[in-house]
Amino acid sequence: MDSWLHPALVYFLGSLLLPFFQGKARQVLALMIPLFSIFLVANMPEGVYGQVQFLGLELTFGRVDKLSLVFAWVFVIMALLGTIYGLHVKESGHVLAGNFYVGSSLGALFAGDYLTLFLFWEIMAFSSVFLIWYRRTPAAIDAGFRYLLVHVFGGLCLFTGILLIYFKTGNLEFTALLPTQAGLAEYLILAGFALNAAVLPLHAWLPDAYPEATVEGAVLLCAFTTKTAVYVLARGFSGFEILAVMGVAMTIFGVIYAVIENDMRRVLAYHIISQVGYMVAGIGIGTHLAVNGAAAHAFAHILYKALLFMGAGAVLYMTGTAKLSQLGGLWRYMPLTMLGYVVGAVSISGFPLFSGFVSKSMIVAAAHQEGRLYLMALMQLAAIGTFLSVGLKVTYFAFFGKESAIVAKEPPKNMLWAMGLTGALCFILGVYPDPLYALLPFAVEYRPYTLHHLSEAFQLLTMTGLVFYLLVKKLAPEVKINLDVDYFYRQGAKYFVRLDEGVIAPADSRWGDVWKAVGLRLLFWKAALAVKFDQEAIDGIVDGTAATAMRISAGVRKLQTGQIQTYIGLSLMIFFLVLWFLVV
Amino acid sequence: MEQYLIMNPLGFPLLSATIFLPVLGVLAILFLKSDRLIKLAALGVSSVTFLVSLLIYLHFDPTTHLFQFGERLPWIPKYEIYYLLGVDGISVFLIPLTTLIAPLCVLCSWRAIETRVKEFMICILLMEAAMIGVFCALDLVLFYLFWEAMLIPMYLLIAIWGGPKRDYASIKFFIYTLFGSVFLLVGIIALYLENGTFNIPEAMFRDYSFSFQVWVFLAFGIAFAIKVPMFPFHTWLPAAHTEAPTAGSVFLASILLKMGTYGFLRFSLPITPEASIWAAPWIIALSLVAIVYGGYVCLGQTDMKKLIAYSSVAHMGFVTLGIFTFSLFGFQGAMLQMLNHGITTGALFCCVGIVYERTHSREIHDNAGLGKIMPLYMGFFGLFAVSSFAFPGTNNFISELYVLISAFEAGKLVGFIAIVGALLAAAYMLRLLKQIAWGREDLRSNLVDLNLREVFFLLPFALFVFWVGLFPKPFVSAMEKTLSYYQAELVKFIP
Repeated sequence: MDSWLHPALVYFLGSLLLPFFQGKARQVLALMIPLFSIFLVANMPEGVYGQVQFLGLELTFGRVDKLSLVFAWVFVIMALLGTIYGLHVKESGHVLAGNFYVGSSLGALFAGDYLTLFLFWEIMAFSSVFLIWYRRTPAAIDAGFRYLLVHVFGGLCLFTGILLIYFKTGNLEFTALLPTQAGLAEYLILAGFALNAAVLPLHAWLPDAYPEATVEGAVLLCAFTTKTAVYVLARGFSGFEILAVMGVAMTIFGVIYAVIENDMRRVLAYHIISQVGYMVAGIGIGTHLAVNGAAAHAFAHILYKALLFMGAGAVLYMTGTAKLSQLGGLWRYMPLTMLGYVVGAVSISGFPLFSGFVSKSMIVAAAHQEGRLYLMALMQLAAIGTFLSVGLKVTYFAFFGKESAIVAKEPPKNMLWAMGLTGALCFILGVYPDPLYALLPFAVEYRPYTLHHLSEAFQLLTMTGLVFYLLVKKLAPEVKINLDVDYFYRQGAKYFVRLDEGVIAPADSRWGDVWKAVGLRLLFWKAALAVKFDQEAIDGIVDGTAATAMRISAGVRKLQTGQIQTYIGLSLMIFFLVLWFLVV
Repeated sequence: MEQYLIMNPLGFPLLSATIFLPVLGVLAILFLKSDRLIKLAALGVSSVTFLVSLLIYLHFDPTTHLFQFGERLPWIPKYEIYYLLGVDGISVFLIPLTTLIAPLCVLCSWRAIETRVKEFMICILLMEAAMIGVFCALDLVLFYLFWEAMLIPMYLLIAIWGGPKRDYASIKFFIYTLFGSVFLLVGIIALYLENGTFNIPEAMFRDYSFSFQVWVFLAFGIAFAIKVPMFPFHTWLPAAHTEAPTAGSVFLASILLKMGTYGFLRFSLPITPEASIWAAPWIIALSLVAIVYGGYVCLGQTDMKKLIAYSSVAHMGFVTLGIFTFSLFGFQGAMLQMLNHGITTGALFCCVGIVYERTHSREIHDNAGLGKIMPLYMGFFGLFAVSSFAFPGTNNFISELYVLISAFEAGKLVGFIAIVGALLAAAYMLRLLKQIAWGREDLRSNLVDLNLREVFFLLPFALFVFWVGLFPKPFVSAMEKTLSYYQAELVKFIP
């Protein structure tokens, strides 16, 4: 083992120094941490490092291979961008939580065994919750609490699975699992991972929590938790058919809900589910191309989703609301923010020349290659919804559309810089994807810019644009029906929106309610019952026994009259009783 | 000397010194007048005792399962009663834990106790002496003496310096535990009649008849089950904990509860192995009930102290669960959990005491939203809270990991139920933490953060949380020999 420095350590120790600095010095230090960790990752040869003996188990803190490196690259880059975006944050606790969150997700990436993974997994959950709590609104605090409980639950699923694996195999090494040999242990681990990846139906925590997070926190949150989960799924569970199906379901599901959401950040949160769905599906398909696609898509997604959250966050930061129904016409006041957001939007929608185009299509192509046509078709359908909701709807209603009363300014410079850099990366990756492809775990023979692919993308996007044009009033946050010429399209679209608003969305919010009710209310109801039982049944018996003893003794005391005749009489009675017993 | 005992190699009687140093301190305190001097004397004596007790650990030989530092004096020779002391891998950490908690208790009552300071400190020191005695005694009569001696100062602590319902709580505590002790005495006498001696090591692993074992097990078991406390004998605990002054709660949680599980390990398993195996499914079931039920009751609490008291029920459930799986993992986990629960729950009670001194309320709602005003306090509280629900990297994680491994070994269902308990632990602790840290905005800003003294007595707890959490090796290895010996002897009886 040579001098390998764990980037997580840089984050942990570096951020502990932060509270001791003020003003500019602190900003410099805050930037040094991600810069240094980028340097570390750039100079990190593949291999196994940081092996430690612990309780007779061998723990591996540094397993560096192609799969962990590609995620590590995007994590450290994202961390730098997130730091720039949050440079104005004054509360050191907030910055500290962010850094611990990033550090622990890097720790999870490089973990070579389950116990190390679990350690960082938990630190991740517990540091990230502060990014929600620091918003300090009652809604955020409650959401954070639910978020944490859900993650503790997921962590325990994982932990139980780890224990069972340990019994089965006698070691804790974290390697690829085979679908054919998977038993209870493997599926418990899968459930733990899937919860963090927001796989249906374990997704409800994500749209519940992320929109409540702080402006700067959400940018980090959207990047790390789900993508760490994608990484561990790719490492352990590639080729699990259930992931292919659930992944595609996620792509559709997230979009359906996003189309009718009103809060910008909630739209984006649902979209994480949709986008992570592509990656999960890729892992489930499990071919080299598919897993490559999942990794590439994670890479691209982290950047453009962060860019979108930065844009939405900037709007929230400057106007105090992210509700589309209250926004509109912001292009006049925040043109740069709008530009950043639009770059993110076209990236996520898979416009040629932007990053989503070169990564998402790999997964779709892999589905095609494997003959999984219905998966492919559904993924394409979801792409339409993506462009419709994130690309067109949010852009239109937030930055254009009707003028709202809100007058705003551009956000602080550091936010703009972060958006600019992220946007540039999205564009560069889209134009010149080769460096990304070189990082991928398997050798790539994929060309995104084929005529077929391009024409397909343009068809999808123009059709979606057309639909939006026709639907724009229907999609408005305040719905007014306005008869139009294109009756046929309108009818079809109307039914779609109706189905969405009337059936699918309520179903999901019911699920969210169930999630809260079963998860929390039932829990507290049972707790109240237990308290009552404890006080009344158990303590009732205990105190009742004591009270009975007191009552009996009070009765017996009455015999002590102080009169000698009573005592003699009682003595005689007892004497004869004993005699009677002895004789009979 | 006897084959079970290695006599004390040091030049002075180490164990007796540890036991009687606090008593000497009491004698000195009797002649002091100023409250301040009394506190300083109590702190000094208990600190010295702690340092002396460290010698036990430093000179402890981890390569043998035999009792060490043996001391043996005839006491009542006619009945074969000896003043017999010794320490093995089970007790080697419980003694330093006791002596560590004592000075911290003195420190945490520095301001809280204003009346009858002299009597209070005397109680603390006497209790400390009796507790160390319990862990050292190898003669049943001596053991029983210390066992009972412990009750009186604890009773006084609750009855004199306790909260508003102190009469109810103290009497309940006393009668309940005395009720158990009576059975303990019966068991001791039964053993004497069978063996002709009160010697504990000599009573171990002998072939008593099964029915004899069952009766002795039940007699001991009731006493220990009440002390642990196991469901459904636990209701004295929340009452006593809630009403006791902080130092009393800390002592109660950190040491007194350990007496029960210590008893199971020291007496029930080696003396009545077949009966223990016979009873194991029931004890495991009761432990699981304690873990889950305790968790639910915690979740429904509005009183901080009561919540932590009930969490003890759940945590001690892990200890009894580990012991009665009869595996080495289980034993190690149980022992570590005893230690960790002592550290973490003791620290949590200290934290509650600190905030009670400021707000004079133990209600969660009254103390909600301290995060902004007392950040340092919140940091400590948060650390102990996450340690309490076994966050990886903290002490409880190691012990619960061990116990859970043994639980899964005993049966998948056992493991799963225990995991549910772990989830509940996170739920109630996070709920508490959330409320205390972020609960309300309308805060009283006249509250001050921790002072130096408070930081000083919380630091050792924090240190231990990380020490056991990150480097458990010294703890595990010191007790390994003894535990594996017990385990090996015990499994011989499993049919």
